[in-house]
Parts: sequence; structure tokens; C-alpha cells
Amino acid sequence: MLRKDLRLELRSGESTLALLALSMLVLVVLVFALDAGRVRSVDVAAGALWVAMVFAGMLGANRALLAERDNGAIRGLLLSPLDPGTLYAAKLAAALIFMAVAEVGAVILMVLFFNLEFDVSIARLAPILALGAIGFSALATLLSAITGRTRGGDMLLPILAVPIFVPALIAGVKASAAALAGVPLDSMGQWLKIMVAFDVLFVTAGYLLFEHVVGEN
Amino acid sequence: MSAPVVETHRLAKTYGLSPVLREVELRLMPGAGAYVIGGNGAGKSTLLRILAGLEAPSDGYALVFGQDTRKVAARYRRRIGVMAHQSFLYPNLTARENLEFYGELYSLPDPRASAELWLERVGLAEVADSRERTFSRGMEQRLSAARAMLPEPALLLLDEPFASLDHDGVEIIASLIRSAIERGAAVIATAHAIPEIEGVDFAAYEISHGRMQPHLHKEEVRRGGRIRSLLGR
Repeated sequence: MLRKDLRLELRSGESTLALLALSMLVLVVLVFALDAGRVRSVDVAAGALWVAMVFAGMLGANRALLAERDNGAIRGLLLSPLDPGTLYAAKLAAALIFMAVAEVGAVILMVLFFNLEFDVSIARLAPILALGAIGFSALATLLSAITGRTRGGDMLLPILAVPIFVPALIAGVKASAAALAGVPLDSMGQWLKIMVAFDVLFVTAGYLLFEHVVGEN
Repeated sequence: MSAPVVETHRLAKTYGLSPVLREVELRLMPGAGAYVIGGNGAGKSTLLRILAGLEAPSDGYALVFGQDTRKVAARYRRRIGVMAHQSFLYPNLTARENLEFYGELYSLPDPRASAELWLERVGLAEVADSRERTFSRGMEQRLSAARAMLPEPALLLLDEPFASLDHDGVEIIASLIRSAIERGAAVIATAHAIPEIEGVDFAAYEISHGRMQPHLHKEEVRRGGRIRSLLGR
């Protein structure tokens, strides 16, 4: 499944380009909209990074399921011996890869636009962004399966996903700002625990519920 | 005595207040075929979707391989091949890649070899490396048939399998259906009219106003002046 999705993406490149363009747009807008002289640059940068990631994550999750809507391919998958939980895992993995690509691009742009340095603080971001990507991808993949079947589903996804993601989003922003300011990871325990709990909850929920949201019964 | 592959009892389906299927009774043994004919919106596709497990009946039940269609285990889904109005194919994959993908989904021992074989069987070997989105409707239909029959299922549910096919395409699909019957598969095919498949004697049923009339004699259908054959005879 994942190999098929990556092959399709490599052929079109639509998702990757869209994700990178969206990340760049968000960061450019925020760097000019926010007065970097009034707030700490790392706080602004962390917030801007997460805004870009959330938008990119929604796009990535939507794209991961888009291929299955052509020619009713999702029905072909549901009719096959493929376990729906495995289908969810494959879609989650695809969404995660898309989001990871966007994250790498967003981090590079963030460093450039907010005049940060490519140093150890950027490396400290990696586990925080990974946790955020897993949680958001898990949530967005599950919700995308629901909203994709409704009229106006593309608009519905952010309306549903963002409020649910708020706890992990706040934790991610706080942890990211702290990491960029030089705080060691083991001092961010409370934020990381929130993110881990979110990830476990929504990966499990997605695996168990996916069959019921994609099926027509 | 072998068990029926398909069995329904008082099968009904209602969408909102509109009954689409009413008290459908069907029993199909291995190696047997059935045509289900009817006009647009008669309920033919709905019947197949229920048998495929894509929809649940509103009343009654449907069994395939003795399993309730609402919860068919994976090992039985492996034995069902479905051809629907939608092809279930990926437009940006080639014909070969589409079949290899489904071969892997169905855990075939050699998906690539199976894909090659079925592309040959449906007359698409020369366009194996063309993307599906470049195909005509008839070519797509052939590839969809290959996808459905690739794992050599014991039950084939074919929704208007001859639609959009030229004469050669109809002959190919008819030949594949005949081969499936000969190896013991059960086949249910829907159509607007009864197609002729040489060497195969299918039972014929007609759905009208949601009710399926069993054992409708094909000669009566012919004498009724309905469209005789998609083969142009």
C-alpha cells in the first residue's frame, strides 16, 4: 500500500509541491505579520512552524486518501483481504511521510526567515516535531476518511481536526519554543507527555475505528 | 452435496422510505451462474453490493460461503471477485502495476507473473505499461475484469460486465466467465438483457419493483421482445 502511494506521489509530485508551497506561504506571511521586535524570535518561530505544519498535515492526510477516491479504489481495497487496520496504518504512514517532508522544508524556511542558526537547538526539535507529526497525521487520516465522503469535506477537515489537536498543538509549540531557546529535552517532560498521550490515543483510535468510517455499512 | 456459494432469504434493502429490494430469494451453487436482469434503478447493483459485503441489507440476510455478508472474514473475501461500475483501478498506475498491486493484496505467489498472464487473457498485453488513465472505457472494463478474476475467486459478482465492450471484448469476457464456471466458480452477472454465452447455461432472474422473479425462462424473455443479445445476434 505504502509503496503504491509513494509511487503515485513520485509520479505526480502534486502533494509534495503543495505541501512545501503551503509551508513557505504560511511562514512568509507570519514573519511579516508578526513584529519580531516585540516578542522573542524563538516563540514566534515556533508558533509559525506549527501553523505551517498543521496546514501541511491536513493537506497531506487528505492527499493520502485522495488516490483511493479515483474509480472507487477504496471499495477495491475494502473488498480485498486487506485488514482495515492495516489500510489505516498504510495511509497514516503516507500522511506521515508527506508531513515529514513538509516539516523539513518548514524548519529550513523557519531558520532562514527568523534569522535562527542551524545548531543543536534545531536538532532538539526533531523528536518534538516527530511526535507532533504522528499525532496530527493519525487524527487527520481518521477524520479525512470521514470528511472525504461528504460534500464540502475539504473544508470540514480543518474545522474538525484543529480543535481536537489543540492540546498537542499547545504542547508542541511550547516544547518547540523551549528547544529553540536552548532548554534540554528532559526539562520539557510535561509537554512531551501530552504529545505522547495524544499520539497513543489517536493512533489506537484510528486503527480500531477506520473500518467503520470507510465502510459503507 | 456441496454447500451453496450464495444464499439469500427474504433479502430486502430500503433507502430512506424507498424499498429497492424486497424479499429476494437466491441460491447459487458452485459451478453455476445466474443472470439478474432489470431496468435502470431496478436494484441489480444493490443486490451485488450486498452480496459483496459493501452494504448491509435492511431486512433478511445474505450468506456467501456460509458467512453473513456483513462480516465476511478476510479468508473468504479472498474468494470473491467483484466487477462494478467503477473499476477500482488507479489512473496513474500502469495496467501491469494495477494488477501487480491487486496480486499482492490477494497474496498471490507471483503477482508479476499473474499480472502478465491476465493482461494477455484480456488482450491488454501490448498496453501493459500504459497508465490506466489513458485507457478507453472498453479497455478499462477489460482491465477491471482482469483485476476481479486475478485471484481466481470462487464467486464472481459482475455488474454489467459487457458494458462498453466491443465484439472482441465481449468474447473475451464471455470466455473468462465460461472458464470460471468450468473451474467451479459461481457467477452472478447483471445486465439489462440476457447476453448469450456459448457453452454456459445460466439461470435468469428479473428484478422488477424490487422483487426478483426466480427461474424466469429465457425463452419467455426472448418472446417478450426484449433486447436479445449484446453480441448482436
